[in-house]
Amino acid sequence: MVSVSTGAGRLRNASALQNMFDGPVPIICIFLIMAAIYASVLPSALSQYSIESLFNNSLPLMLAAAGATFVILHGGFDLSVAGVISLANVVVAVTPVSGPEGAALNLVSVLAIGLLVGAINGFFVAYMRIQAIAVTLATMIICKGAALLILGAPGGKVPDFMVNQLTGSLFGMLPVAIIIAAAVIVFWSVYRRTNTGRALLAIGQDDHAAALSGIAVAKVRFSSFLWAGAFYALAGYMLAAQTSTGNPNAGDPFLLLCFAGVALGGTAFGGGRGGVTASLFGAATLMLMQKVLFALGVSSFYTGVVQGVIMIVAVLMMPMMRAVTQSSRGNE
Amino acid sequence: MTKNSVDPSVLPDTAFQTIQPNKTPRLGGQGITVIIIFAITIAMLLVFRWISPTLSWWSQTSTVLYLSSFLVFCAFGQGLVIMVGGLDLSIASNITLGGVLSASFMNGSNENFALLLIAILAICALVGVINGIGVSVFRVPPFIMTMAVALIVYSTCLGATLGTPGGYAAPALKAFMGGGLLGIPSPIWVLVTFAVLGTVVQSYSTFGRQLSAVGSNPLAARLAGLPGKRITTAAYAISATSAGMTGVLLTGYADGATLRMGDAFLLPSIAAVVVGGSSILGGRGLFLGTVGGALLLTTLSTMLSATGLEEGWKTIVEGVVILAALIALRDQAFATLQNWFGPRR
Repeated sequence: MVSVSTGAGRLRNASALQNMFDGPVPIICIFLIMAAIYASVLPSALSQYSIESLFNNSLPLMLAAAGATFVILHGGFDLSVAGVISLANVVVAVTPVSGPEGAALNLVSVLAIGLLVGAINGFFVAYMRIQAIAVTLATMIICKGAALLILGAPGGKVPDFMVNQLTGSLFGMLPVAIIIAAAVIVFWSVYRRTNTGRALLAIGQDDHAAALSGIAVAKVRFSSFLWAGAFYALAGYMLAAQTSTGNPNAGDPFLLLCFAGVALGGTAFGGGRGGVTASLFGAATLMLMQKVLFALGVSSFYTGVVQGVIMIVAVLMMPMMRAVTQSSRGNE
Repeated sequence: MTKNSVDPSVLPDTAFQTIQPNKTPRLGGQGITVIIIFAITIAMLLVFRWISPTLSWWSQTSTVLYLSSFLVFCAFGQGLVIMVGGLDLSIASNITLGGVLSASFMNGSNENFALLLIAILAICALVGVINGIGVSVFRVPPFIMTMAVALIVYSTCLGATLGTPGGYAAPALKAFMGGGLLGIPSPIWVLVTFAVLGTVVQSYSTFGRQLSAVGSNPLAARLAGLPGKRITTAAYAISATSAGMTGVLLTGYADGATLRMGDAFLLPSIAAVVVGGSSILGGRGLFLGTVGGALLLTTLSTMLSATGLEEGWKTIVEGVVILAALIALRDQAFATLQNWFGPRR
């Protein structure tokens, strides 16, 4: 369907098999190297408790990066991530309904908010054809204002059920955070094979060619903002469970970090190449890096220097790893 | 942004036609953007008069112009980097670097002022060169490169000052920021000069056309024999220098530096460029649009802080006005206006 008129070779990355190896493998290697360093510096890092808390800390950023990936894949940019996370976070903190019903109610309401913001973004970007970065900057500011109106200062209370169940482990050994991350990976590997998933990548590679080959470009773009909004809302929801409190500025630190996670995963800004799984690992790597630097005893004044250098080195290493994984698969 | 790694043989034929080194900026779409933006800003200034009637119109306008000059300076560099198809997230850190260096170097004395100024700007330019080399030679995505460099620069400032930057601005710098000519504060004179110079650099100089060529189609620019790496690096160097200059001026304005002094400028610098009609994907943009975008954003925030609204409502109104301005600046709106002014395409 998408092979019409885009020119041979440009769609190499769109083939399903290719993506599986080409996409997340380099960043998974970097994540594992980092984890090995962490475990060798701090042997207690392999305990059930530290793994659980590491993933609890990382999950909100991982979900935010996953959401941002949907938009970046088609060549867009979504700054509303910071606003939606803050908004979802305070909504959970001011809704004191306990028990599983409370958790479900909160989940439904934050998802509705995320989808609404996503729909507004999608409408202006896909149908009104305004630049994504500008539209989402405006919606981010509006969401932050709404979050301030709901909760003027950090506070509120997240129901105990959410705090205990969502940050714990299933059967006492499998952290819920890992299950959620795995569910996202499964979701993406299915979504990527659907028509919409393929169309998303095709639009990112060449939107004119995609339109000529019969893809409803505007509709696919619109839907990507919906997914993004839903994932940001989920990130804010998990952040509330993890911090057990609300903060109207909770989303701010996520803004640049979530894009750094996406870029570290190897997803191209401008679209057409990359995937959600890679972004999940990119974000997890960023969070793990902070733990490693702390464990190594790097002076807190200079952690930024080391973090910056590692980010650049990791990105420089990635083409090498990609070359290795590609040559091991023969004639590509 | 990083699409320039494609093999030439697979490019469609159209790739070689899409190179558009700055169309002559007559009353095309971009020219109309500039007119609409200035019209919206002036309209807002008139409404402002009605919100706080105690101040004279000129004193309000001059305050807005004074405050927006900082944003205009750093948005100029951001605009050049965006034009070449990149993004500079190290603006905030470079402002801090410029500020911290000037406060500690000058330390409240006029001694060697010119020499120190050159040294400070050279250090900032070096940071920009590192950004540019990372992006153009090592092909690190601009987002990661400039963010990593921002982290490194900020954390170096933090470590070197142990968290509390000391020192004061040179008296000459303070006098400049506080003084004026013909009743108009000097930063506004600088702003006007800068707007003219920036327009010449971005739209009428060879360098500006080269930036636009590399930004709209890096491959075509390379085939045409342009030194793409050098041009890209120069854009990042200018961006870092203009951010550093913003830091120096802010230090003169506040008589001292803080580590967080640049933070308030990062997103607005991108917003000013994009609201001003430049494409975030590169290749297209007018500096006057960026100036208009910066004026609009500054007028809006100055105006809102003068109202007695609750913080949350202020923020919401700010977002809604930006969104409304974007809708007013849509391409369809251009088409309508172009019909009024007579089609010139």
